[in-house]
Amino acid sequence: MSDHVRHLDELLRSADGDAGCTAGEAILDAYVDLELAGEDPAAVFPGTAIHLGSCPGCRADHDGLLEAARRFGDAAPPE
Amino acid sequence: MNEKPDAAGTGPDEESGRWVAELRAGHPRHDQAVARLHELLLRVAFHEVSRRRSQLGSIAGPELEDLAQQSADDALMNILRRLDDFRGLSRFSTWAYKFAVFEVSSKVARHAWQRHPPTVDELTWERLPDTLSPRPEDRLELREQLGALSSAIVHLTDRQREVFVAVALNDVPIDVLALQLGSNRNAIYKNLFDARRSLRAGLAAAGHPVLEEDGAAR
Repeated sequence: MSDHVRHLDELLRSADGDAGCTAGEAILDAYVDLELAGEDPAAVFPGTAIHLGSCPGCRADHDGLLEAARRFGDAAPPE
Repeated sequence: MNEKPDAAGTGPDEESGRWVAELRAGHPRHDQAVARLHELLLRVAFHEVSRRRSQLGSIAGPELEDLAQQSADDALMNILRRLDDFRGLSRFSTWAYKFAVFEVSSKVARHAWQRHPPTVDELTWERLPDTLSPRPEDRLELREQLGALSSAIVHLTDRQREVFVAVALNDVPIDVLALQLGSNRNAIYKNLFDARRSLRAGLAAAGHPVLEEDGAAR
């Protein structure tokens, strides 16, 4: 597939089964923790996996949360 | 469409359970737990504001700090109000950080919109951007496909065209566009999705289907 055709495919991406923004917001933390555990979040939340491939806003939130959980996730409450 | 919220996890892990218990009013370590959580949220918010700095233009350091501080403060208030909503589908820290990321996302978009609202050019259809415009050396088939895309864009509804041109062609952040149009991300995304579907269908009907990564034309 040429770069041009790939670009066009991405520009018009609108896959079946897209869960939308609201559904993804509710489970984004669980989605990210599955990723960090080395599991496949798309197997558990397929609609959100599709959505993150085509919604720039939710993808940015996902990327931010993934990075935050990776960097600061080891956080115990006070003893 | 809803994702199954109980599809992952089996309840809070031990550490997450302790977070929730200590954050409840009346717990002996409540104040310490709140202070510790706020400190973590502030780190996350600072990091996230920095990550999104390109959206903020020439913003001064104190303004960045203020955005992060407000985001952490608001996230903390939301978390304390919604402790009962935590069901252990993730670690408590990841659940809590989600509030900070969402606050930063929303505040950065509002700041960007107030300082640099989308221009008329970014919302108005004129022609395909240079990255897509057919060049003389492009194959005839591709040039025809891009010509069909331009024609199909004209036939979108006004709102679909405005959203597609702004978000897909001119990279206007979806939340900034939502603020400009007095809407919300979900509604704008639905417009974008419908526009993309319509354009794909238009291209297919014109005999120029767009192949997806798996090689199929839909």
